[in-house]
Amino acid sequence: MGEGSVKKLADIRRSAMAAIAATTLLAGCATRDTGAADVWDPLEGPNRFIFAINQTVDMIAIRPVSVLYRDWMPKPAQRSVHNAMQNLGEPVTALNDAVQGDGHQAMTSVARFLVNTTLGVAGLFDVATSFGLKKSDNDAGQTIGYYAGVQPENGGFYLMLPLIGPSNARDAVGLVADSAVDPFGIAIYSLSSSTAYWIYAGTRYGTTVIDTRVRTMTALDDLQRNSVDYYAALRSAYTQRRAEQIRLKRDRTSPQAELERRDNLALVR
Amino acid sequence: MLARRRNMLHLAAGAAAVVVAPRLAAADLDPAAQLIQRTASQVIELIKTRTGAARESGILQVLEADFDLNYMGRSALGVHWNQATPEQRDRFLKAAANAEAHAYAERFGQYGGQTLTLGRVTNRGGSSFVESKLNQSDGEPISITWEVRNEGQGPRIVDVKIEGVSMVMTRRSDFNSYIQNHGGKVESLIDELESRAKR
Repeated sequence: MGEGSVKKLADIRRSAMAAIAATTLLAGCATRDTGAADVWDPLEGPNRFIFAINQTVDMIAIRPVSVLYRDWMPKPAQRSVHNAMQNLGEPVTALNDAVQGDGHQAMTSVARFLVNTTLGVAGLFDVATSFGLKKSDNDAGQTIGYYAGVQPENGGFYLMLPLIGPSNARDAVGLVADSAVDPFGIAIYSLSSSTAYWIYAGTRYGTTVIDTRVRTMTALDDLQRNSVDYYAALRSAYTQRRAEQIRLKRDRTSPQAELERRDNLALVR
Repeated sequence: MLARRRNMLHLAAGAAAVVVAPRLAAADLDPAAQLIQRTASQVIELIKTRTGAARESGILQVLEADFDLNYMGRSALGVHWNQATPEQRDRFLKAAANAEAHAYAERFGQYGGQTLTLGRVTNRGGSSFVESKLNQSDGEPISITWEVRNEGQGPRIVDVKIEGVSMVMTRRSDFNSYIQNHGGKVESLIDELESRAKR
């Protein structure tokens, strides 16, 4: 077998992995490499329609409520709400850290959850960070991107999700995967009822929306004011940001990044 | 997902004005890092000492001196640059530089006591990339990478990447889409930018 066919085999294997990763529902990951400057958006028409609805809902409800929350809710309370939401996500984060082969960060995320749930009073206070347990920023979309073997800018086709916002095939699958393995969701669903589950999911979603909206207010206002096509600017920014997150996960395990980390460790010693 | 959006869109917060606290001795020697340090301290000085129109005109001066607004405009127009007539290019560069300058003036204006720590400098494809961290009083530090190039006028900033999001790349996507949705004509974009400047 020549070098060419080996490479081809590797390509096929990578493509197959990408296809599996994006699941049967949303194939297309492996077929097109899209740069951030020109995001693959075959559903642009429907996406823009949903974007317009999202924008309207934001203008009449989410943004005004977020402004009230930001200006009237005491800052420590806002921080605690944020911490609690982050803490609920910690088990799923740990799982993604583990699936990506980062055992150390997975253990750290588990430790964060245990510390913040107990000492941090149900996650209201982020005690773990002051203990030096670093927060991991991870999710299933990044896990798929980590293993997909394509440019991290390529997340399959771009998708504007109703009431959630920018996404793509990869991240939408990740979103579903993350909520499917959410231990609190599973526990509530199996111990109680589906009504209880929807109350939990709805409350968590609603709180996260307001918390996130407050935190993105300045940035989104800036992007909107300074763009001639806000939809396209947001699409590009989202794609680049997600690619960067995935790239950081990949670099962590790349030989060069590993060497640099060792260098840094040597400096510390 | 929503938490990700938060990270992704720290754009404006990240571009807010900064105090420089250089940490690495090597960073002091590199001309690119020196440029970033100088720009940041000039901006912070302006914000501390001036208000209103005086502040904005001061920031515009810094931008014109330290940013290669022509290069940024050209990269932002991408493939449409070649199709544009010399007259259109002139008008575009003027309008785009103006829009960019105002955007940065606004971002820099929202100073909230952040500090900037300079990190590694890497050279790639004729550009120097200066890594830095914007330390906030509340919340995680934001990573900002400054791309510095020398196009014959000494080192100038040609792009700012905030948490991986390139301002020029985002602008290019924005402009490109606008042109595509307006009959593929650069003229329509220039008209839009010019009319925005008048508002």
